[in-house]
Order: sequence, then C-alpha cells, then structure tokens
Amino acid sequence: MSLYVQAIVNGFLVGGVYSLMALGLSLIFGVMRVINFAHGDMMVWGMYLSYWLFVTAGVDPYLSILVTGSAVFLLGAAVQKGLVNRILDAPHEMQILLMLGVALVLENVALMVWGPDPRRVSTTYALSTFWLGPIVFDLPKVATFGLALALALGLYLFLKKTDLGRMIRAASDNQIGALLVGTDILKVFTLAFGIGAACVGAAGSLMTPFLPFSPSTGLFFTVTSFNIVIIGGMGSFLGAFVGGLLVGMSESLGAVILVPSLKEIVSFVLLVLILLFRPQGLLGSGR
Amino acid sequence: MASRVKRAGVDRRTVLKGMGAAGAVGVLGFPAVLRAQVKEIKIGSIQPMTGPLAAIGKTTRQGNQLAVDHVNAAGGIKSMGGAKLTLVPGDTQYKPEVARAETERLMREGAHVLVGAFDSGTINAMIQAIKQATKPIPLMIDIGAADQLTQQGSKYVFRSFVTTQTLGRKGIEYMLEMFKISGVTPKRAVLLHVTDLFGQVQKDRTLEWHKKLNAPFEFVEIIAYPTTTQDLSTEVAKAKAAKPDLLLAVTRLNDAILLVQEMYKQRVEVQAIMGPGNPGFYHPNFSKTLGKLAEYTLDNVPWYNPKSALTQKVAADYEKRFGEQLTTDSGWAYQGVMVVADILERAGSTDPDKFVEAGRKTNIKDHVTSGGNIQFSENGDNIGASTAMIQIRDGRARVVLPKETAETQLVYPVPKLWERG
Repeated sequence: MSLYVQAIVNGFLVGGVYSLMALGLSLIFGVMRVINFAHGDMMVWGMYLSYWLFVTAGVDPYLSILVTGSAVFLLGAAVQKGLVNRILDAPHEMQILLMLGVALVLENVALMVWGPDPRRVSTTYALSTFWLGPIVFDLPKVATFGLALALALGLYLFLKKTDLGRMIRAASDNQIGALLVGTDILKVFTLAFGIGAACVGAAGSLMTPFLPFSPSTGLFFTVTSFNIVIIGGMGSFLGAFVGGLLVGMSESLGAVILVPSLKEIVSFVLLVLILLFRPQGLLGSGR
Repeated sequence: MASRVKRAGVDRRTVLKGMGAAGAVGVLGFPAVLRAQVKEIKIGSIQPMTGPLAAIGKTTRQGNQLAVDHVNAAGGIKSMGGAKLTLVPGDTQYKPEVARAETERLMREGAHVLVGAFDSGTINAMIQAIKQATKPIPLMIDIGAADQLTQQGSKYVFRSFVTTQTLGRKGIEYMLEMFKISGVTPKRAVLLHVTDLFGQVQKDRTLEWHKKLNAPFEFVEIIAYPTTTQDLSTEVAKAKAAKPDLLLAVTRLNDAILLVQEMYKQRVEVQAIMGPGNPGFYHPNFSKTLGKLAEYTLDNVPWYNPKSALTQKVAADYEKRFGEQLTTDSGWAYQGVMVVADILERAGSTDPDKFVEAGRKTNIKDHVTSGGNIQFSENGDNIGASTAMIQIRDGRARVVLPKETAETQLVYPVPKLWERG
C-alpha cells in the first residue's frame, strides 16, 4: 500500500515541473500556433546556465531562476523575432522543420560548449529527504514543486490582470480582432515566445538539484511537454497544468502497477484515448 | 580540342581501354611502386558521439585515437611500406538507423576497416549494412557484448570484446567467490536493468548463469525501465519494497547516477550495489559526479590487466593525454584498433578477404585487456576475452578479482550509503 502512496507522491512532485514546462509550450502554441520543438533544449540551456552559475559563483539554483529565466526569455524572444516571425504564414510542416532545426542547433552548441558528460548541481541539500511515516519526500523535489506552482500562479495572474497579459490573451483568442483594436501583434508574439521560453528555462533550473543532465536530455522533455499539452488541451492554461500533474502521476503509477519499462506507455495511451474521445484535450475549448 | 579528338577517332571507350592497358603494365611492371602507394589506411571509428551515450562515445573515440597514434608513431603498418592509419569519424547518435547510414557513408568514402560502436543495438544495424553491401569491409567490434552480433553469418564481423555469455558467467562466478571470501551470503536480490538490446540480453544471461551455477540467493524482483528515463524514484521504491540484500543493476551512465542517488535518498541499504556487467559504474564520470556515494560499488567488467607492463604504459599515456583513468571503454576501444593493426600487418593488404583470412589466424599474447591470448573463433569472437571484478575505491575503479591481478582487497558487505557523511 505504502508503495502506491509513494508512487503518487513521486508522480505528483515530478508533475509540478512538467506543468510549468507545458505551460510555456501551451502559451507559445496558443498565441502563435507554432509548436516549439526546441522546448526541451531551451530547458537544457536553463539547466546549464544554473550549473555554470553554481560552480563559478556558488549561486543556488533556486535563486538563479531569475537569471536563467531572463536569459532564456531573451533566447526565446530572439528566436521569435529573428526566425519564427518570418514563417508565421508558412505551412505547418515548414514551421516544424524550422523549430526542429533550432532544437538541433541548441543541442549541439550545448554539446560543443559543455561537452557530453552528465552534470549535477551538488548543492548541500541535493540529497536531503524527510519522512512522513513510511513515505519519503525528496526535499529538492518538494521545493521545486512549490516554486513551480508559485511561478505558474504568477503567470496566471500576469495573463489575467495586467494589460500586457490581456494583450497576449487577446492575440491568442482572436488575432484580427486584436489587430483591429491596435495591438502590436509582432511585439506580443515576441513577448509570448519569450515568456513561454522563460517558463521552461526556469523549470530547467528548478530541476537541476535532483536531475543529472546532459545536452541530449532535452528531447525527452520536448516530447513530454508536447504530450501534456495535447492531453490538457492545446492553448489551455489550466489544461497544461492539470495535464502535467496527470502525466507525472500516470508514469509513476504505471511503473508500480504495470512494469517500469512500460511507464512511458501509460501517458501515451492516455494521449491516444484523449485524441480518440476528446480531441480538443481535457480542458481545451474545442476550437 | 574536343572536335579534334573526335576527328582522330579517339572516343571514350578507346581512352578507357588504353588506360586499362597502361594500368596493367603498371601492375606487372612496377608492383612495388603501386603497393607503396597505399599510404593511408582509413579506419572508420563509429561511436555514439552525440545523444544519450555521448559521454561514453567521447571516451571510446579517445581510445581509438590513442591506438592510431601509437601505431603511427611506431612506424605505421610495416608490411605495407609504413602506411599510416587515419581515423575517419562516424556518429551513431545511439540510433540504429543512423548507425546504419553512417556505416554506408564510411564504406562509400573508402574506409578500409570499421571499429565501433559500444551499443549492441546500433552495432546490429551496422552489421546489416555490411551484409547488404556490394563491397563489404571488415568490422571490428571494439565494444559491444550481445551474443547474437557475431552469429549472423557474416565473415567480415570480428569482436575483440567479450560476449554477454562470458559476462553472465563471470559475473556469477565472481559473486560466488566474493561470498566465500567474506563469509557473507545474501538471500534476496533485486535486478534492475535498462531495456535496450544490451540490457535485455545481459539480464537473460545473468538469470541463466544464476541458475546454472546454483547461486545461493533468489531474485525477488526484476525491474526493467526505459533508457530514456529521467526519474528512478518509483523503480527504487519498488526495489526497496522487495527488501533486497543485494542490488544488481545493468544501467547506462545517467541512470547509474540517478539510481545510487535515489537509493541514498530512500535509504535502501544493501550488502552491495553490483553490476553483473554494467557500463555505467566504471565510467570516470560516475565516481566524479557521486563522490562518496559511488565508493565501493562493484562491477563485473571487461577490464584491463593492471599488472602487465604494456597496460601500465598505455594507461599512463592515456591519463596524461586525456586527464582521466583508462577504463573498459577507452581500454577496449584502444585494443580494438591495435588488433586491427596487427591483422593488417599480417595481411599485408587492405583487401577485405585477406583481412578476414589473417584475422582468423590472430594470436596476440601481449595486450592490455583482461583475459588470455586474443584469438578469434570461427564466427569472429575473441575466445581469450574475459572480465575482472572492480570496486570503486578513492574515486578510482580498482580490480579486486581475480586474485592474480587484484590491485586492492575486496570490501564486502559495503559500508552503508547513509553513514558515509
């Protein structure tokens, strides 16, 4: 029994970061209708930046999210301004090719700069745990979960309450309408891509205390985020959030109930079911 | 100019004929000159340079490179007029389809021999490409253990590495010896393994020899997980629930780190964490990343012979040049190229069939790795290849078994992870 509770706890904690990653992807898709296939690789750059700040200046990864978030924001904004803006009207396959290209470049530049060896940010608390009865809680995972939740909430408030947020939502809901009321669409796009990238960059930093990583880590997270966003509903804020938790838990429980080698299948079965019976996603608006 | 040639009645066919005749005269008249023209022998080094095994690809490539440099510094291949070896790089990305395409590319670009490629699944794809080629070239598997690789009926495939059959047998044999030395015998064991081709076969062989040799412990849980995994907390929780005395694991590098980290967090204490044949535990990055937690980890691996003078020289050279310990990856990658050089020397030609013929007659006594003379069986396996049991001590992998080549004394059962400070 305690094994199941443990699996739920583990899945839930991992799911929190998944949510933050997926929020970024969902935001980018919701506004530009472009799928960011470089999502995981942008996250890996956030991780390396955190690592670098930690080993050179001793900055804790939970603090360095400010730096990595901003840096990956700039990276995302640059990709949008320099590349994506040019192909907004191109067919989908062109956009996919471009983003895959960006992913390849980011991964291989990371390989050149940092080398292939796996890195770990060895903070003093990296291996700390606490116990509630027979259930173990991984301290960095709990902290990461809390911060991911706080960042997601912050993003939600930003989108709901500020003018910029309203502009982004307007552009996402109805582009022509937004243009007609005088929104600078291209500026909004750059901002939205930047914020989406910042989310995943911050998620990367948040994961460094418990996840050893290397340049190839990105692909797994790109696929996972994509999966989550489809399950939750493309472009839906709440959908991405709930989807993240759901995928985290289904993988973890799948590893206990079935066999761990099938754990990734569980979330993909979930994906297929969603596509069959509710193609707009759990909380998608069914455009 | 072109019209004049036409008028003179010289068409392309005549020119070709003439060239053929001139070539024949060249071969008959000046064979020595022609032979000396093979100045460069291209060795295609196909390794996982990018993707999840990139850290390992880096070390295997370094091993290949060091061997090439050693051969060239010693005067190249003397039977071919001192022809120099050149390494032509290829990258599998740890993907079978890419490994196949790279094999085809290097064959097209004129590589004479291939070495590679660490992961059995990708090597399997390379062998298919060689089997289907119109002009196949020899492949020396420098690292890659799955038994079936050399059982596919291609005479061009050699393996200087050990097989999973040997790994499985030696793993259990060393364990039995360890229990005898320490007087401590585990009752319950858990086996964790990755699900790529190597992981699967290694699990099967371990179970097979566990049964054949009547090992005194029982496998209470076998946990398979995908290679792409980024989280092993649930797997370790499952292992813990099975209350093991001994934890056996077949991992790659990243998951090896995750595994031990997670065992520490969840306080899973066992008599030892041991690889029955594990490419993750001996990697320098494993002990560098984990520090004290990596200490005392045991691994049954194709290693090198630390007592041989040749090995000591190569190991020192390697460490000086690349700043890390010579291990299975670099050591056997080095060996693979050295065996190729030995065969080329005796073949006196880059002709694939002459290579195969000379390959079958290989008998190398002085070499760097664990095991006896390097000799190839009919299907291309190195019958002399064997393994050693190593243990991480003070950040380095050291041989503890067999006793003849041991560098330090075995510690078993190992100190608890939680009490290492």
